Amino acid sequence: MGSERSLPLSGVRVLSQGIVWAGPFATVLLADLGAEVIEIESIQHLNPTRTNFRHIPQPLLDGRVGTYYLGRDGSEGFWNRQAWFNFAKRGCKSVTLDLERERGRELFYELAQHADVFIENNAAAVVERLQVDYAQLAQRNPRLIMVRFPGFGIEGPYRHFKGYGTIMEAVAGHTLLRGYEDSDPSQTPNSLHGDPNAGANVAFALLAALFARERTGVGQLIDLSQSEAVLQQEAYAFMDYAMNGRVQGHWGNASPAFAPYGPYPARGHDRWVAIAVSSDAAFAALCDCLGVPELASDARFVDAAARYAHRGELDPLVAARTCQHDARALMVQLQAAGVSATELLHQEEMTDDPHLRARGFFQPITHPEAGTHLQPGPMGTFARQPLVPVRGPAPTLGQHNEEVLCGLLGLSRAAYEQLLADEVIGTVYREDAHA
Amino acid sequence: MSEGPLAGLRVLDLTQGVAGPFATKYYADFGADVVKVERPDGGDPARRMGPFPQDLPHPETSGMFLHLNTGKRSVTLNLRHATARGILLRLAADADLIVESFRPGTLARLGVDADALAAANPRAVLLQLSNFGQTGPYRDFVADDMLMYAMGGVMQVTGDPQREPIKLGLYMPLFFAGVVAAGMGLAAVWGARRDGAGERVDCSIQEMLAASMDRGAPNLMAYQYSGSLMTTRERAVRMNALPAGTYPVADGYVSISTQIAWWPRLCRTIGRPDLIDDERLASRLYDAELAEEIDALVYPWLLSHTKQEAMELAQAEGWPVSALNAMDDVFRDPHFRARNFFTTLDHPHAGLLEYPGFALKLHGTPGTLRRAPLLGEHTVGVLCGLGYQRADVVRLRQLGVV
Repeated sequence: MGSERSLPLSGVRVLSQGIVWAGPFATVLLADLGAEVIEIESIQHLNPTRTNFRHIPQPLLDGRVGTYYLGRDGSEGFWNRQAWFNFAKRGCKSVTLDLERERGRELFYELAQHADVFIENNAAAVVERLQVDYAQLAQRNPRLIMVRFPGFGIEGPYRHFKGYGTIMEAVAGHTLLRGYEDSDPSQTPNSLHGDPNAGANVAFALLAALFARERTGVGQLIDLSQSEAVLQQEAYAFMDYAMNGRVQGHWGNASPAFAPYGPYPARGHDRWVAIAVSSDAAFAALCDCLGVPELASDARFVDAAARYAHRGELDPLVAARTCQHDARALMVQLQAAGVSATELLHQEEMTDDPHLRARGFFQPITHPEAGTHLQPGPMGTFARQPLVPVRGPAPTLGQHNEEVLCGLLGLSRAAYEQLLADEVIGTVYREDAHA
Repeated sequence: MSEGPLAGLRVLDLTQGVAGPFATKYYADFGADVVKVERPDGGDPARRMGPFPQDLPHPETSGMFLHLNTGKRSVTLNLRHATARGILLRLAADADLIVESFRPGTLARLGVDADALAAANPRAVLLQLSNFGQTGPYRDFVADDMLMYAMGGVMQVTGDPQREPIKLGLYMPLFFAGVVAAGMGLAAVWGARRDGAGERVDCSIQEMLAASMDRGAPNLMAYQYSGSLMTTRERAVRMNALPAGTYPVADGYVSISTQIAWWPRLCRTIGRPDLIDDERLASRLYDAELAEEIDALVYPWLLSHTKQEAMELAQAEGWPVSALNAMDDVFRDPHFRARNFFTTLDHPHAGLLEYPGFALKLHGTPGTLRRAPLLGEHTVGVLCGLGYQRADVVRLRQLGVV
């Protein structure tokens, strides 16, 4: 960190308990934009983004869980070597406070008096139990903006419901809209769209409330329902039901109007090219590029309506040709001919993608305990106040205790040492966290 | 009508389609004055997207357009006319934020590029949202929501390994990009106001998806940390005995997630508290070989309940089970209803309809949902605001400028 350059949100201080996946997407947006984001952690109950485990069971370390710990190493300090935490909390500060105890809570109240915003996505009743709810905090700092975003919001019959993004998406109806056309919902793959979507909504909401505060002089409470934030994006199905009472099912990869449409096999193992043909001209160009110009004049495919009606016959004809082409070369050829087509990028190869490289998207970031890795860069390129280089690595647990408690709050050295001795603060995980 | 948090913010909206209009919808719903510029011949292509009432296409009743453009004012301008470009620059001079989502290079071809807009208003923010950004070799590629999902790297890891990869629900990546961009634009205005200087922001949808927590950044990071992606298009392998995934119930399906620590909650839900301390099971819940035995305990309970019953009973014990709702279920869901998510708006052509309402509830300054504009509905009002007389507007119309 240490960069004093001016950024769009320089001077905005955000306290965060942004956990799992949704909260972290908010903090990476805000920290990249220049806000001072202080993650309020605890050595008794770790942020589940760092870990759900005191000791990771070996079978899990060998499997999927292990992929997000550096070198699949579950030894002491692994909570500082977690892949997504070290992306999503980059440029943030970490302060540990045991909010279960009065001393920790008092310090949090003091921090809240120095803060503009507090964002949290703990389970619905947690902040009330810890007495750090909006009423308590607004009493001490009426200018504070608080954004709460548990899965179903803080009001309504499901406000206590537990679960991750997949749960909210199911109830909001997204899961049933996005399976393969010809298979039952048990075959529908996971998506975590709801989490980053919630994080992006949080960033917007607190900024909007900052604008409001410029006029009103006071902060406010904001209630975000992650499930409703997904639901309002199912607009095509939503409006169809509102207008026509029609219940849409799995769309699969189909378009509502166009064919050919979807991923088609390319040469090589698991290589695909996605093609979206929306005009007769594009279809003719596609047929030319694939060496089957006669298809363009075939009566079954002569216009958009005919192609859509006969897409079951058309798709295999297209696939029989695409599979002879290299995905990237075909993408470039089709785009040059005016056809919407892209390869399906493999994530392992994205740091080599010529376009992303030319834009300087990936940023090398050095973390004191995890080393240097390439991270996806900020999600906007700002001309006057560039967000790159990004401000720094993610914090280790409790890394900024001294800076924030002694610096910002002016605690004495003796008081600080006492907090350490009492384990109100610390830098080493003490107990199992129960996510 | 409640004043939204963004009251006083003036937005010049040069977007079309899904992502850009969804960003500016956020501004309009939360109180900004959003002037949407549309081409006179047909306007925003979202007017042709549908769905339409009774499946009868009409430029004023496209469901996508009606949802994406709530609260905006519509002005038609034919930017091929120099007079229209002059009007655009005058609108830009009055704006805090200009948002555009043309294909890169389009504004320059029309003779109103970023420099011209900055000259017209040096303190404004120009937010440019595009598929691949304003620079780089893929800048001019054409793409839609599926293609962006493919180029964000996420589609390749979504679906069955024996089949083709699969995308999200219709347009979802574009909606997501719209929300991210809305925040980027506000942040830029915040900095611009503080510094008294303008800003220009280039947002690429591909980059947003690559950085997204939906398996974008986490996968890219995990790959570098461990040499393996966290998520691939592998058939979901039961990592342990606990039920997780999609399960059938009496009237459909539920989604279940379970962790070891939640075993007692599961036992209580299915009426088997005696199993909480069953050492043979409780100590071996990581063992996938017990999966069939655990499923045999859970299936009879699931199949004797509806999805709504299963969800409510399990959640009462703190076990995350959720209904896989279809849209008719969603419309009668007691939670969404209790939160007043659905908002009824009247529209001269589409009539009374329920719309998606506010997912964000700002208790102090909630904002208001107002219907989408007719094509050019506010042309006269906006031009008169610039000092034109009504007679001038008639002339401009005759000339094909508006």
